[in-house]
Parts: sequence; structure tokens; C-alpha cells
Amino acid sequence: MTATIVFQQAINGVVLGSLYVLVALGLTLIYGVLVQINFAHADFVTLGAFAAYFFMHLVAASYILSIGVAFLVGAALGWLINASIFTPLRHKGNELLPLIATIGVSVMMQNLMLAWFGPIPYAFETQYSGQVIRFAGIFVSWQNVIIIAVSSLTIALLYAFMKFTFLGKALRAVSQDRETAGLMGINPNRLIMLTFVIASALAGMGGAMLAPVLVLTPFAGTSVIVKAFAIVIIGGFGNVEGTILAGLIVGLIESFTTQFLDPGLIDIVVFALLLLMLAIRPTGLVSERREENV
Amino acid sequence: MSDPALAQPWSNRRTMLLSRWICYVIATLLIIVLPLIFNDTYWRTNLTICAINVLLAIGLDFILGYAGQLNLGHSAFYGLGAYVSTLLIVKLGVPFWMAFVCAIIFAGLAGIFLSLFAVRLRGHYLAIASLGFAVIVHQILLNWISLTQGPLGIYGIAPPPSLVIAGVVIADFRNLTAFFYLVSGFTFLSFLLLKQLVCSPIGGTLTAIREDEVSAASLGINAAAWKVFAFGVGAAVAGAAGCFYASFVGTLVPDAFFVSESFNILAMVIVGGMGTLVGPVFGAILLTLLPEVLRGIGDLRLVVYGAALTFVVLFMPGGLAQAARVVLARLGLGSHS
Repeated sequence: MTATIVFQQAINGVVLGSLYVLVALGLTLIYGVLVQINFAHADFVTLGAFAAYFFMHLVAASYILSIGVAFLVGAALGWLINASIFTPLRHKGNELLPLIATIGVSVMMQNLMLAWFGPIPYAFETQYSGQVIRFAGIFVSWQNVIIIAVSSLTIALLYAFMKFTFLGKALRAVSQDRETAGLMGINPNRLIMLTFVIASALAGMGGAMLAPVLVLTPFAGTSVIVKAFAIVIIGGFGNVEGTILAGLIVGLIESFTTQFLDPGLIDIVVFALLLLMLAIRPTGLVSERREENV
Repeated sequence: MSDPALAQPWSNRRTMLLSRWICYVIATLLIIVLPLIFNDTYWRTNLTICAINVLLAIGLDFILGYAGQLNLGHSAFYGLGAYVSTLLIVKLGVPFWMAFVCAIIFAGLAGIFLSLFAVRLRGHYLAIASLGFAVIVHQILLNWISLTQGPLGIYGIAPPPSLVIAGVVIADFRNLTAFFYLVSGFTFLSFLLLKQLVCSPIGGTLTAIREDEVSAASLGINAAAWKVFAFGVGAAVAGAAGCFYASFVGTLVPDAFFVSESFNILAMVIVGGMGTLVGPVFGAILLTLLPEVLRGIGDLRLVVYGAALTFVVLFMPGGLAQAARVVLARLGLGSHS
């Protein structure tokens, strides 16, 4: 019995964790190339969720397609925020200004969504939520199967892109040393734009898949992003492998805390782990040569 | 940035000090006159909230603008001050002013705790660590139901006891005007204290750490100790604000101290102009009153608020303080604080 519960919660944890990884990877990629934090990332998640919801209800009742739509909405938002906020502020030389500007954007987006969609939570039901596979006393909904399949495929594609393609290698070069990469003939500005578009697209599709799990309100993204920040730090800022590992760990912590302790304690456990991590090993699980912040 | 006072000849410094005292006198007069002009409950309430927010903003500016520590945990110090004082009064029957002092001390200690992370971390790492601290404090307030009553909140918190000297009631704090004088008086004193601190060599020390920690250390500055100091002072000021907030509003719910409150306080500091102390005063007043003035446009008022914040950062990164300096220079008045 206990073994079944543990296994069941492990699956739930991996489902949740893989979604957190999608959101956190965006933050980590942006941090890698730009050493900047985008607080509006949370609202890209929310807007991705709403885009999927309205696509399913107004256009075509296909969940898979709606994930694609959320991906595109996220990509468009990423382009917009980089062009309007990060590019103009890059030469001001103050690490704080873009962060504050994105807080402003975040407040703006949340309240625009509040004005349009209202404060009442939306029920995001898909045709896969109710279909359940039973296996040795464990329940897995098709919804969760889709989440794991889509997110692991996305993460694998991203990983392959970063490791094997020319653009991916250029991106890593820029994140290691922007000046030298520029000297090697890489245009950092275009790569920074590419990073923003990819990162935000991941947030959007993460939102579409998180929507059935979350309480879908204009403020839904905030609770996710706060955990994503913790994941990014625990994994080591700017580090892809570390982020994946930390995301899964946080997902598991969340599901086991819900089962064995109290759902109210989730954030406390996660952030206590974060502070502990920062106190003991501030470079993160998988450390990289990035000494300037630690 | 070098202190203009040091670069200028003696006579100029005297004019500067004189103009500073004139500003203080004007500020005092404004504090006295404002609640008499705005004589309805709504505006007097807003004025008091303004004073509380100014207190929060100057405390954060001391940590962020002077010591350069990116602190997103200010809402936690604020909340701890509010809950510690209220629980001491409600559960243990501690007199108000003793609870007030305890709130300040407790919040200051929380600041010192967070500064221990600041000693090791910089920039965005510190930002996330302090954000995590704020999340933990909010969640504890929310989940420790036997102590804080969680989301149900604590109701009917009494205002401070009346000030009675020799049997004569000097000030009854159930009166909004008296409460406003109390909070704004304390805020004004805190401002003077912080101004003294930043104008003393301590200010220079903190600015040196902000600009270049390694160079500061090579001059024999113990950066770690001064970070602890800056966090302790800034957090203690926020604790006082929390205590005033609780006794003014009379109701405490954990969501008043969610991390978004940290962002609000940060916005006040940035819009005002960080590292100037006087800027955040105006930033706090502006951003407290702006959503009230915009109440007419309903749901969109916070959209305008967010847009205003973004535009200030994009087009006026030095905030109101920078704008004022530009205007004064155009008028040929030169720079003064």
C-alpha cells in the first residue's frame, strides 16, 4: 500500500517537475546569455494557459494543437519583451533596471488579464483528463502521459539544439563570454533575441500544460514562477542540466509534501531548501564557472 | 557618485545646509497642514498610508540605494513587524509602545539574518534568496494558524493608547489626524536619522561597498559587517512601519505581506530615484496616491501603474530625483539634495 502511494506520488512529482523544468529552463537560458531576470516570465505562463483555453473553446477542441498555440503566443511575447525592454536597457549598464521594468510589465499584464478574463478561476478540462490508465494500483491520466511526453521531447530537442547545432553552440559561446563570441563573428544581439523567443515559448507551452493542474486565474503564473526561481538557483543559474535535475527534485518534493506533510508547507520546504543550498553551495547542484555572483 | 558637498567650496556647503533646513521646515509645515486641508476620512486614511509607505521606502533605499544590496524581502520585515507587535499585544497583553520596540528589534534581527546571505551572495542571487525569504515568511504567517489565524486574519486591533500627560489627553490616536501626526512624525524622524547616517562617513562606506566591494575591502572596509548593519537598520525601519500598519488598519491578513508588496516598495524607491533618500519619499507618495487618483478607471488603474513603472525605468532611470535635478539645473539653481 505504502509502496503504491510512494510510486503514485513519484509519478505526480515527475509530471509537475517536468512542467517546472520547462518554465525554469526559460529563465536559465535568459540568465545564461544576458545575466538578467525576467519577472514577466510568470505572465507568459499565464497567458500561454489562457491562449490554450480560448483556442480550445473558440477555435478547435484539440488539446495538442492548443499547446502549439500557447508556444507561439509565448514566442511572440518573448520577442516583444526583448525588443521593448531588454534591448533598450542593455547599454545603460545597470543590472537592476531591466528587472524593475519587467516587474512593471508583469503588473501591467496581470491587470490587463484581470480586466479581460475576470478574477473567477477557469476550469480547464481536456478530453484526456478523465481517461485513466490503471496499472498495478497506480493511476495515470492520459493528460499526464501527454505532459511527460511533450515536455521530455521538448527538453530533449532543446538539449540537442544546444549541443549539436551551430546556433546552439553559438548560443553557449555567447553565454560563456559575450565579448569573445562577438570577436569570433557571432552576432550576440540576434542570439539574445533567439534565446528570448525560445525561453518565452517554453513558458507559454508550460502554461498550457500547467493550466489543468493550476487554478487558472490571471495570477496563476506567480506561484509557478516563484518555484521556478528556486529551481534555477538550486540547479545553478544558467546551467541547463542543473535546472532539469532541480526541477524534477522540486516536483517530487511538492508531491511528497502534499502526501505526507501538508500542502501548505510546500513553498516553505522548497525555499528552505533554496536558502540551505545558497548557504552551503551557492553555485548550485551542477556548478559552472560563474563566480561573479557568489 | 561623489558627494557634491565634498567637491564644493565651504560657502556652497553652507548654502546647501541652509537650503536643506528650509526644506525640513517646509516638510514639517506640510505634515501639519495636510490633514487640515484634506479633512475627510478617505484622504486622511490615504495620507497615513502614504506616511507608512514612505517609511518602508526609505528603509529599503538605505539597503538598496546606499549599500547596493538587491533586497526583495522587504515585505517580510514589514509583515514580521506587524505580526510580532500585534501578537504581543493581543496574546500577551504587552503595552503598545513596548510591542512597538519589540517589533523593531525583531524585524531588525530578521534583517540581520537575511544579511548573512548577503555577505556571501551578490546581485541576482541575493535577489532570489531574499525573495525566497519573503515567500517563507508569508507562508509561515499563512500556515501557522494556531498563532496567526492564517488566512482568516486578526481583527479588531486597537490603535495606540492615547497620550495622556498629567491627566490631560494630548492626543487620542482613534482620531485619524492624531494618528497621521504620529506616523508622519516618526517617519520624519527616521528620515532625519537615515539622512544623518548617509551624510556621515558611514554613508560613504556603504556607497563604496555598493560601487566596488573589492576596492572597498582593499581600503580596509569590512564589507560583511556593514552589510549586516545596513540590513539591520533598513529592516528595523520596516518593522516600525508594520507595527503602525497593524494598529492603523486594525486588521491583519498574511496576503498584505505577499512578495508583491516587496515589488511595490521597490517600485517606490526606483520611481523616486534610489540612493537619494529624498527621492523615495516622493516615489512612495506618488505611487500610493496614483492608484487612488486612478480609481475612476476601475480595473485598468493597476495597468496604468505598471505602465508608469516601466516608462520611468525606460526613459527616466534616475527617477523623480534625477528629473528634479535636471529641472533645477535648467532653472540655474544648481544641485542640492
